[in-house]
Amino acid sequence: MDKLAKQLRADAALIDVQVSDELERRITASLHGLSPEGQEPPTIRQRPAAFWWASSLTGVAAALIVIAVINSQSRLDEAPTRAPEISPIAVLTTPIIDWKTESAMLTSPLRKELEDLQADIKKAEQKVKEDIGL
Amino acid sequence: MIDEQQLIDAAKAGSAEAFADLVKRYRVRLLRFLLTRCASFADAEDALQDTLIAAYRYLHSYDSRWRFSTWLYRIAIRNAQKIRSENIVELGDLSDEESDPLLQCIVASESENLWVSARRVLNDDVFAATWLRYAEDMSINDISKALDRSASWTKVNLLRARKALGSELNRQSSGSEAYG
Repeated sequence: MDKLAKQLRADAALIDVQVSDELERRITASLHGLSPEGQEPPTIRQRPAAFWWASSLTGVAAALIVIAVINSQSRLDEAPTRAPEISPIAVLTTPIIDWKTESAMLTSPLRKELEDLQADIKKAEQKVKEDIGL
Repeated sequence: MIDEQQLIDAAKAGSAEAFADLVKRYRVRLLRFLLTRCASFADAEDALQDTLIAAYRYLHSYDSRWRFSTWLYRIAIRNAQKIRSENIVELGDLSDEESDPLLQCIVASESENLWVSARRVLNDDVFAATWLRYAEDMSINDISKALDRSASWTKVNLLRARKALGSELNRQSSGSEAYG
């Protein structure tokens, strides 16, 4: 071992430390309050077979009771459903136009009727222009 | 005397007493190391307590291919770093015996303790590597594992530390000769 290594080792030994009683107590208390993680879980205590049957049957009975209660509740809560009423607003808001219409009396071929109608419109236009002074 | 592996097995099974016996041989060594890494004696004690609690809690993850001491030191180094990161006092600020817990625990000698010089001239990881090598006689491989560094990093930095501390030792020797 060389001089430096010897000196380092000697100097490390000159660092004088002791674990105090208080620290010792603290560490011991901390360790006793812990359990290592990953430790095997404690074995589950075996119960008699009758216990398993009794608990299973109790569970099934409880489930049936709950289902029955829910069903009876839902029947009581049910009320006859009514068809929604149509709101009159839509009818009221639509303006009613009084169309004054006459059914056309077709006495000649369709082409002739169209020409007559156009002539009537022209006459009506002419009359309106005369009335308003154009 | 009960074998270390037997104590580890018993502690893994949940025996706090076996764990206490197991770490009894390492407590003082760990505390001495932690004292060089912490800003106060109370911090070093807290770091030791945290280290032992963490070791007990995670003992199931201990791989027996490692030396137990290597594994413990790895936890201790992390705890020291954690406690120092929470503390506002830097080790470099500790200059007198009143504030420096390491100086308080050093038995009086003619020259400055080389570990005090080492703490001044080496960074954290290099100091830890040097400590594990020369105060704990650990192999390069174990030091690499404890510090989570490569073997080549450990070799190179131990060489640098030797060079720096060799200069310190020469300076001390020449100083004492000059005064002598």
